[in-house]
Amino acid sequence: MRRALLFVGFLALGWAAWDTGADPVRLARGVPFILDFLWRTIPPDPRVLPSALAGALTTVEIALLGTAVAAVLALPLGFVSARNVAPAPLFYPARTVLNFFRSVDTLVYALVFVAAVGLGPFPGVLAVVAYTTTSLAKLYGEAIEGIEPGPVDAITATGATRLQILRFGVLPQVLPLFLSYVLYRLETNIRAATVLGFVGAGGIGFYLQTYLRMIDYPAASTVLLVTVAMVMIVDGVSSRLRDRLV
Amino acid sequence: MIEVRGLRVVLPPDTVAVDGVDLLVNAGEFVVILGRSGAGKTTFLRALNRLVEPTAGTIRVAGRAVTGAGRGELREARRRIAVIFQQFNLVRRASVQENVLAGRLGYVRALPSVLGRFPPDDRALALECLAQVGLAHLAERRADTLSGGEQQRVAIARALAQSPDVILADEPTASLDPQLTSSIMDILRRINVERRLTLVVSQHQLETALAYATRIVGFRRGRVGFDGPPSALSPAVIAAIYGDGDAA
Repeated sequence: MRRALLFVGFLALGWAAWDTGADPVRLARGVPFILDFLWRTIPPDPRVLPSALAGALTTVEIALLGTAVAAVLALPLGFVSARNVAPAPLFYPARTVLNFFRSVDTLVYALVFVAAVGLGPFPGVLAVVAYTTTSLAKLYGEAIEGIEPGPVDAITATGATRLQILRFGVLPQVLPLFLSYVLYRLETNIRAATVLGFVGAGGIGFYLQTYLRMIDYPAASTVLLVTVAMVMIVDGVSSRLRDRLV
Repeated sequence: MIEVRGLRVVLPPDTVAVDGVDLLVNAGEFVVILGRSGAGKTTFLRALNRLVEPTAGTIRVAGRAVTGAGRGELREARRRIAVIFQQFNLVRRASVQENVLAGRLGYVRALPSVLGRFPPDDRALALECLAQVGLAHLAERRADTLSGGEQQRVAIARALAQSPDVILADEPTASLDPQLTSSIMDILRRINVERRLTLVVSQHQLETALAYATRIVGFRRGRVGFDGPPSALSPAVIAAIYGDGDAA
């Protein structure tokens, strides 16, 4: 059985390699071009630093605002998608709808929202909200499903209402996890937001794409370096905050 | 105070945990339910406030119907039935004081309470209850920083904060070191005597049951096998309760 699975696995990978035209020789032939590209990005052009920084700021704003709004919107959705607190008639539709919307990536949402509300950072924020709400709702729901039932029993036994049970029996158990998931999402959203500019949804991606199209590699490398620095700073701050939560 | 008639509880998928129990408990009694683990003691206690839904039978506590009660009526019945659990079931990340205050949830208005606002009288009552179990000095501490014995005392304070007619305690000392058993049981006895509260406490330890109960109810395979004062508990009866001749 295990051998058969292994065999099928290798077969699938082999076919995928053939179908995608994966070819080490082609890669080796491409190496000089990669080196040439890297060579031409040196030195980075400092003149575009102000616009790169402005773009980075917009990207951080898109991720921050989008994540914050999604963190709140996901709360009710998280509760209705948790098997142990939601009634079955709510739970099953909620799970299905969330899985449906979660399978669409932020960038695809951005295309939709750019078409709907026009160019700029705003459709970027909407795209981050759309994706993050559903993905956080699922994480929230799973956290709620993992709680200890004991405190919930105890609060129920006091004659508390459903809302009070959620607030005093469930929420204290999951809140630190929720915050940690929100920070984790913020980190991934910063990365996702760097490419939103490619489709006209604002931020640093717009500059990267523009300079690459203009074949201004020194300028593009400045933008890339700023992007890397921005992601590293946000990651560092966020993971330090997360460590203190759990 | 407690009237149970024909109580039957079938746990999914098909475990008959309580199999036709009739029990009348008078106000002020200290009833100890004795039995091996798996005899149905926990399920019986959980059915009394419908944390477990009874399959058949009727339950009345302090003059209120528990079975057949609508949502609001059930909450009103529940707030007069305090429960103490084997695992304490405190909210770990909340402060001791907040845990005791949770005992008032059935009385205060729901919306302000959810926002963390409780009337001053309820806060004062919670602190008073905490003082009665001797832990007023730990009010600000996080619940999970306390020892097991302290946590169970906080749970007792939470139960008192409910201003209950009845306290149900499910193996309240089973998760504690043996030397803490008497300290917890002493507090329960004091509540029983001083407040004239009705107590129903499950125990698997015979000596503890004999030392504290005014009445002992022996459970065996979901049924009442003995019901009487501790003095009537003969070795033959004890053997029947604990015997393993036909244990499942």
